[in-house]
Amino acid sequence: MTPPLPDPQQFTPVAGSDARATPVRLLVVQGEARPAVDASDEPMVMTFPHLVLREAIAFVALSIVLITISLIFNAPLEEIANPSRTPNPAKAPWYFLGLQELLHYYPPLISGVVLPGILMVALIVIPYFDINLERAPLAKSDRRRTLTFLWTAAVVLTAIFYFTGAQPVWPLIGPLLLVAVAITVALLLRSSGGVVSWLRSRSAPFWIFAWFLLSAVALTVIGIFFRGPGWSFVIPWRDGIYY
Amino acid sequence: MAALAKWLTDNRVYRSIIRHGFPDSNRNRSLVIFTNFFLHIHPVKARLRAIRFTRTFFLGGLSAACFFLLVATGVLLMFYYRPAVPHAYNDMKDLGFVVSSGVFLRNLHRWSAHTMVALVFLHMVVTFFRGAYRPPREFNWVLGVFLFVATILLSYTGYLLPWDQLAYWAVTVGTNMAQAVPVMGEKMRFLLLGGHGINENALVRFYVLHCVVLPLAMVLGISIHVWRVRKDGGIYLPPPANKGDER
Amino acid sequence: MPLLDDLSMPATEGAPDDLGRRRFLALLGSGALGVAALGTGITGLRFLEPQVLFEEETRFGLGRPEEFPPGTVLTLPKHKVYVVSTKEGFFALSSVCTHLGCMTRYDKEHAQIACPCHGSRFNLEGKVTAGPAPHPLPRVEIVLDRGLLVVDTAHRVAPDALLKVA
Repeated sequence: MTPPLPDPQQFTPVAGSDARATPVRLLVVQGEARPAVDASDEPMVMTFPHLVLREAIAFVALSIVLITISLIFNAPLEEIANPSRTPNPAKAPWYFLGLQELLHYYPPLISGVVLPGILMVALIVIPYFDINLERAPLAKSDRRRTLTFLWTAAVVLTAIFYFTGAQPVWPLIGPLLLVAVAITVALLLRSSGGVVSWLRSRSAPFWIFAWFLLSAVALTVIGIFFRGPGWSFVIPWRDGIYY
Repeated sequence: MAALAKWLTDNRVYRSIIRHGFPDSNRNRSLVIFTNFFLHIHPVKARLRAIRFTRTFFLGGLSAACFFLLVATGVLLMFYYRPAVPHAYNDMKDLGFVVSSGVFLRNLHRWSAHTMVALVFLHMVVTFFRGAYRPPREFNWVLGVFLFVATILLSYTGYLLPWDQLAYWAVTVGTNMAQAVPVMGEKMRFLLLGGHGINENALVRFYVLHCVVLPLAMVLGISIHVWRVRKDGGIYLPPPANKGDER
Repeated sequence: MPLLDDLSMPATEGAPDDLGRRRFLALLGSGALGVAALGTGITGLRFLEPQVLFEEETRFGLGRPEEFPPGTVLTLPKHKVYVVSTKEGFFALSSVCTHLGCMTRYDKEHAQIACPCHGSRFNLEGKVTAGPAPHPLPRVEIVLDRGLLVVDTAHRVAPDALLKVA
């Protein structure tokens, strides 16, 4: 990878007071190979026009979609703020409804500070853990040990989320069990090709992130569609959407 | 036509601004990127795999595009908005019924904001599943997490500004979460709101955060984020040799 | 004086005592910068903390105790407080949900207090009967001042505090 260093005999650094006579050229070769340094013969195109045009098209398409939406749908505006009357239900913007749904199960310290805090820290430190940076598939490890560990963790976490909340936290338990079952199926089935083999080639971080993602989506969807007055459970197609 | 183009582009004034000729040769096409302030974040050449739509779905770029739309519409809305009680709400009504295109600008600002939150989130999800967060890009992932938080905060601070029931109670719920932080929670909420409840002080603070502090932080963050993408050799692509490794 | 930085030149030139002096000055300089940064931070925080607030008066009169026979629940949304009159006496409950600060509502039919945000329920004593609220609704001060009931929502009192009116 590294080009041979020039013979130090032939390369003598000279320092001089006249920058024009002895120009200094600086070249820094970093130790780690950057992806682009890995020379390859893959096809390259000129950024202009190929990439710039694509970006322009993407921007125009986005603008057209947003402008069309803005011409059709008006942004909501309710009556003026009234500190003595809480609307029922009082819903936050949609991207906070997952959090608001979580607040239904745990006191604010847990669901408003501790759990989101853990999630943020987890997201930040992911790339700094040297665990499985190669993203080796789970299937490559010892199958029995993996499954034992997986189900122990799944049962413990299920128990925690089942008993500690004001109600069983199904939006966390459901995705957890779904992920656990998916891993088990992928590990036990011997079929090659198709979805199963794709699942089998996934790594541990993939599954953990999948659990986070599915839980976040489940919490948010429940918060948006399945909660009505007094944060009671409603069926959207029967009782309507309270948003 | 060709003569007109030549007359327009082949003179000292034009050449002092745009320093290259018509981009019909690869040299001039390189110069388009190289000598343009807005395009210089790009390399002159790109790998074909990297610019395919299905590789990134342009999610990062579209998030930035949303931010651009938000700045443009936001600045216009500022001409008619006063962060005071009850003027803020009345100005919303004015935008709705009196100001020409007021409704449209407010709608565009609102829907772009929602879209941006969604796009940034999807950008993060795709980045993770592609494995692009791994070294040497780990710090850029961290920056991305902060940019996501900044996006949420921008959206959240903007949510109070119309001063309607929706705004007031969403923000009540949110700031009471800050109160749940042990020891310093109460103080944090007091400083954030500038009082014990959500009133005019809180409105002015959210206005300043929404219109000045957070957008500046966002511009800085996006700049570093994009700059680091370039320094790390462009967007992440799996090594072409072993195709079985990734999608 | 060479024009270019000569990398072969040692960065710390001079006698050992000179080195000590440089270190001392560097420490002094960075220390001063640190103190200045700390001071800026503290004054900045203090700037952000309002010294005068134009908020609602928290102390207000209600009326004579005889006007509220036992069993009355007064809802005063403007002051965010319920005043409950029982046979034993009067007490005032904050009507702000202890969960996330939504305004609760008095549900006369079920004789309970309900929060619309996250579904917490309280009984008329303020105790949590359902939902995620971590604490009961706090009682605030209610006193008899020159024959009038006076509530001060800024003062919390013991959870069993009761104003006995003879």
